[in-house]
Amino acid sequence: MSISELEQHPASHIHPPPDTFIKKYVFSLDHKVIAVQYFVTAGLFLVFAGLLAELMRVQLMGPNNHVLSTAVFDEAYSLHGTAMVWLVGIPLVTGAFGNLIMPVQIGARDVAFPWLNMLSFWMLPVAGILVFSSLLFGAPQAGWTEYPPVSLQLPLGASLSLWCAGVFVIGVSSTITGLNFLVTIIKMRAPGMTYTRMPLFVWATGVTAFLSMIATANLSAALAGLFIQHVFGVPLYDVGRGGAPVLWQHVFWFYSHPAVYILILPAFGIVSEVIPTFVRRPIFGYKAIAYSSAAIGLLSFMVWAHHMFTSGLQHWEQLFFMILTMVIAVPTGIKIFSWVTTLWRGKVRLDSPLLFVLGFLSTFTLGGITGVMLASVPADAQEHASYFVVAHIHYVLFGGTIFGIFAGLYYWWPKMTGRMLDERLGKWHFWIMYLAFNLTFLPMHWVGLLGMPRRVATYDPVFAGTNMFVSISSFVLAASILIFIINAWRSARQGEPAGPNPWGARTLEWMIPSPMPYYNFRDIPIVLSGPYDYGKPLPYANISQDLAMVPVH
Amino acid sequence: MATHVTTVSDPEYQEVQSQRLLGFLFFLISDCVIFGDFIFSYLYLRNAAPVWPPVGIERPYLYLAAVNSVVLFGSGATMHYAMEGIRRARLRQFVSFTVLTIILGSMFLGGQAYEYTHLRDTWAGSTFGASFFTLTGLHGFHVFIGVVFLIVVLLQTLRGTYTPQRHFGLTAATLYWHFVDVIWVALFFLFYIY
Repeated sequence: MSISELEQHPASHIHPPPDTFIKKYVFSLDHKVIAVQYFVTAGLFLVFAGLLAELMRVQLMGPNNHVLSTAVFDEAYSLHGTAMVWLVGIPLVTGAFGNLIMPVQIGARDVAFPWLNMLSFWMLPVAGILVFSSLLFGAPQAGWTEYPPVSLQLPLGASLSLWCAGVFVIGVSSTITGLNFLVTIIKMRAPGMTYTRMPLFVWATGVTAFLSMIATANLSAALAGLFIQHVFGVPLYDVGRGGAPVLWQHVFWFYSHPAVYILILPAFGIVSEVIPTFVRRPIFGYKAIAYSSAAIGLLSFMVWAHHMFTSGLQHWEQLFFMILTMVIAVPTGIKIFSWVTTLWRGKVRLDSPLLFVLGFLSTFTLGGITGVMLASVPADAQEHASYFVVAHIHYVLFGGTIFGIFAGLYYWWPKMTGRMLDERLGKWHFWIMYLAFNLTFLPMHWVGLLGMPRRVATYDPVFAGTNMFVSISSFVLAASILIFIINAWRSARQGEPAGPNPWGARTLEWMIPSPMPYYNFRDIPIVLSGPYDYGKPLPYANISQDLAMVPVH
Repeated sequence: MATHVTTVSDPEYQEVQSQRLLGFLFFLISDCVIFGDFIFSYLYLRNAAPVWPPVGIERPYLYLAAVNSVVLFGSGATMHYAMEGIRRARLRQFVSFTVLTIILGSMFLGGQAYEYTHLRDTWAGSTFGASFFTLTGLHGFHVFIGVVFLIVVLLQTLRGTYTPQRHFGLTAATLYWHFVDVIWVALFFLFYIY
């Protein structure tokens, strides 16, 4: 359909097609272009933050190395955490995947507020520049959590102010994205798409949007509090003047615990899309997976203080948060078992998206189990300040979120670009990354339980061998990303054209050409039932049944 | 925005308006969370302190705040009558009551400025001052934004942007104004009575 025809279309009031380069690629209102902008920007920040991690691993190759001073080491892990959570993880799973797929999966032409969507995206580079420019003044050294009083004891004040401002900006961006997505999902679903006919990725994105909207607003307030404490000396967290450092921990974790579900729920959604497509059978327990996302969303607001077991809570508080934290493993377990049951006796096609999903399942489950270990107060008292926690967070956020992101990238790359990725390189990428990941983070459990403290630049020489091994594995892990970059480059130059539905999937994004046209759908589809009934006719009234075929590659 | 409104058919405008309304409600909810965070901080610090207010700090004067509250709640009522005016296509009623709301809102801000300049405690002076000035200051900032918002929609109405059927901007301004009123109920109770 040509642009002039589209202008006649009733949907053109959303935003007219762009006519200049700037409107098309820079300040675009189109959700698909904004998604690609998120991928590129967050990808760049991923490289920066990853290099910071590798710097730390170089320092830790020997017990008393002098590659980094202790101050620079502290800056490196503080910025690594800050950037990975706020500038890489959350923008990739919400801004990038949410924007690319969610509006199409519900049969909409764009999100509810395209202009706000553009604004949200442009806050990301601003936030990134603010956060990384704090390096010029000696970056904050109290970790990504910036606990007072340590965070308030910097020699130079500007860096904490920049850090606060940067995270505040990305927080506002996240709140706006959440609001925007939630209105889109509630108001703009295609005719016939009831809540229980939505693809599971939309369920996950909806719950994530709710968490972003509520929890991130709280983060903005908490950061404003830290900022006025730091700049104007307003005594909120300064214990010397009646303030309470533990108050910061409460308000920070009231955001940051839901934030880990903001990071993982969209990955759950990606897994729920990939598995049925590659085993050719309906997903087991659609409603169980959908409602358990909602249950996780609600519970995530009631467990924040499990990060604070060693901060001097009352006993009843410890008990309360310990039990609720263990309860949250139940809805998560429901998902894991539903996925495994879907795989059970399916016609499994081991393409790279499914490989990354299997990597996700194995590592995330392990990370989930160490999470239950850490939820137990007496165990946490021993493990809290050790590398065990580092291993746990990387099993859930790298093994969970990053593997989920790569599963989604391999799955939706043909839809996004119109070209296939190379399957052989994809398999190399997966296996090298999967092995290097486990060789990097599995030994951290052991040195952690043996008592190696986290966040220190030097350590007891008994851990020297393990740390050397971990560092070398981590270099391989970083290098494995290069395989993906080569794959993407080759796909752009000589990739095989994908066609509308290369995997034979059934959700709505596969019912339109690749790459997706402006306004997505010529006619808004009419939905007759849920999207996962493999073997039955496509559940859409006005879409050709030929699209259900699996093309031969 | 106004140019789009004139080019689309009515059912579609209804749909767009319902999206905007929901989005605006979500914005108010997240704004509520921001107040909630600072109210939690206030209660936490209050609970942690051995005596409250801290030694040497006197609480702000109840009667000035009570008068100020009456002014703000009155502005909620005038806002309501202004909206009734636009719904029944009575432009004069809308204009006069909106002007009255703007005046009452400004009076509230004036009262707050008077109170701020006559308190001995300061923002950075104590945990009481930290909570009091942060929360009432944030609220005062919202009232200020509300007054600006009302002036803008008033000018837009005089230029003919809104009709009795299509006035999302006015609905949003009204919702915002009532929201700011409700927040004040909580703050008044927390700082002057509790």
